[in-house]
Amino acid sequence: MRLIVLLLALMPLAALADTRQIVDTQILPGVTQLAERAETLHKTARQNCTPSMPLKDAYSTAFDAWVTISHLRFGPTETDDRAFALAFWPDSRGATPKALSKLISQSDPIAQTAQGYRDVSIAARGFYALEFLLYDPAFTDAGKPEYRCQLIQTMTADIALTTRAIAQDWHGSYATKLIDPSADGPYRTDQEVTQELFKALSTGLQFTSETRLGRPLGTFDKPRPLRAEARRSDRSLRHVELSLSALQSLALALASDAPELQGTLDQRFTKALEVAGRIQDPSFAGVADPASRLRVEALQSAVEAIRLTVGLDLASHLGVSAGFNALDGD
Amino acid sequence: MTTRRQVLAGLLATGLTPRPSWADLGGPAFLSAAGLPDGGYALCGISAAHDVLFRLPLPTRGHAAAAHPTRPEAVAFARRPGTFALVIDCRTGDVRATLNAPTGRHFYGHGVFSQDGTRLYTTENDFEAGEGRIGIWDATQNYRRIAEIPSGGIGPHDIKRLPGKDTLVVANGGIETHPDSGRSKLNLPTMRPNLSYIDQGEVSEQIELTADLHKNSIRHLAVSASGEVAFAMQRQGDITDLPLLALHKRGTAPRLAQATSTDWRAMRGYIGSVAFSTSGLQLAVTSPRGGRVQLFDTQTATLQDQVQMADVCGVATTRDGLVVTSGTGAIRFLSGRTTPVPGLRWDNHLVAIRESST
Repeated sequence: MRLIVLLLALMPLAALADTRQIVDTQILPGVTQLAERAETLHKTARQNCTPSMPLKDAYSTAFDAWVTISHLRFGPTETDDRAFALAFWPDSRGATPKALSKLISQSDPIAQTAQGYRDVSIAARGFYALEFLLYDPAFTDAGKPEYRCQLIQTMTADIALTTRAIAQDWHGSYATKLIDPSADGPYRTDQEVTQELFKALSTGLQFTSETRLGRPLGTFDKPRPLRAEARRSDRSLRHVELSLSALQSLALALASDAPELQGTLDQRFTKALEVAGRIQDPSFAGVADPASRLRVEALQSAVEAIRLTVGLDLASHLGVSAGFNALDGD
Repeated sequence: MTTRRQVLAGLLATGLTPRPSWADLGGPAFLSAAGLPDGGYALCGISAAHDVLFRLPLPTRGHAAAAHPTRPEAVAFARRPGTFALVIDCRTGDVRATLNAPTGRHFYGHGVFSQDGTRLYTTENDFEAGEGRIGIWDATQNYRRIAEIPSGGIGPHDIKRLPGKDTLVVANGGIETHPDSGRSKLNLPTMRPNLSYIDQGEVSEQIELTADLHKNSIRHLAVSASGEVAFAMQRQGDITDLPLLALHKRGTAPRLAQATSTDWRAMRGYIGSVAFSTSGLQLAVTSPRGGRVQLFDTQTATLQDQVQMADVCGVATTRDGLVVTSGTGAIRFLSGRTTPVPGLRWDNHLVAIRESST
């Protein structure tokens, strides 16, 4: 009897994330890659600002790097609204094209410097705004060519500055705050760090399921293909795949000391990525067509299956599932 | 033989029955939605002694309820983006009527009656327009929908009435959502929550806090007997040491509640419910994420005391003191006895149904 009590006392209440491994192999390489690719994007735009291949390639590569870390919505990405300055989406009221049209029609001199550009509407900044200038026919010819060129160069400079600030903060001190929580830091205990990482995973999955897939799907009677993310550059499906791959790495790391659970999670992610791989509709334009809609719905179901395992089994493994109200958010 | 039921039916037919009132009620003192062990949901009536008197199954998760000012009747709302609300006979737990949100609208989970009890006001989302609405329902005609008015902002959540008046006060949380994308938030970088007062269908006063607080979504309300409004907030984005609670009296500037950085952070950016004590001297706020209840002195708006309690969220005012509930099934007098209800998980709000008539 005494032995059992002793054993129970020695058992940890819940597993903790291997934070150092997640920081060293996922977060730091991710933010570094984003800053480097954003710098390349800016250099490319300075050399040739026409919306043609070299610039579009650099844009695509840098955008990939953002999507890969876009679930890490805490700390450095939230300072000064940096994540929103890179990614103003979903844009339910069309604020981005409105803000860009206004700048272009007035040839607003605020676009002369990246520093000044920080004061424009946040909807006119970042990858999603830049997509209009590179891919949307309503913008690729709008206003004066010199102004468009300046706008593209300034927007890429702004993206480069923002991503550099994120990377610097992570490398500078935030990584340490996550690895070594302390009473006066943003995280007081390892359990709070685990909770933050779990939240990044679960809200990342929610965003991919409900927003990246749910917004274009709409309802069967009212599909919304024009709401697909980055549809102008045919990146909608790609973002789902990139985010799932990144979230898979995070989920597997969070379950690293529970091989069976890790196996289940791996299976579910692999399944979802397979379902995604069978879709030949990069911008989800086909959500209004019953047959191709079905494939996008199947992908959403596969992501929901991951969410279920994460919300129940991984949450209980990490001891973050206690709150019926705590997790509700209302 | 004439049964009691037939006599009652006869009386009803002649219109001679005295109308039932809250005074007739030997029944529940509170309503709360709950999660059930089988994964289902219910609305429960709870007695003043904290016994569960009835459990009414709900098709989906519930949220809050509004008590009729005179009749022993309450309206229980589905959690957003729910589209139904149930009118409950609080003596029996029977459903008398169902409210369905009109096409293009969903409920946010809160509502309030007019002073005379003839109208019910509900917070709703006009999700194509991305604007908040207040639905108006005729409680004298089986809750027929009669009109709607703007809420004064995006994402109206809680709604209350000032004592002795028909002035409505609405917490416009500022967050836009659309049912096509579930509960995902669509406008966090540009959100601007506000507190709006509505008189005769028009916004008559509107309070916004300073720009640094624009991501503190104003979500839940409590109104004191003197008409002071307490509004509790939920932080979007990283946890900060910014206040999550403020007080406002019409025609004056809002007062931000004061607590140390550590104490605000302990609430994890999230207040779930707020209530004044009966005396009005204290204000209780709950944080299920922080697992604690904080008590503020309403005169100085400063933190006075705090109590730890896992997954605490519901809080209600009674003559016998403040009562809180938790997602672990506990019902507790803040200053004393706890009644555990095994298997039930008390949902966000505890509604005191007999004390609401002001």
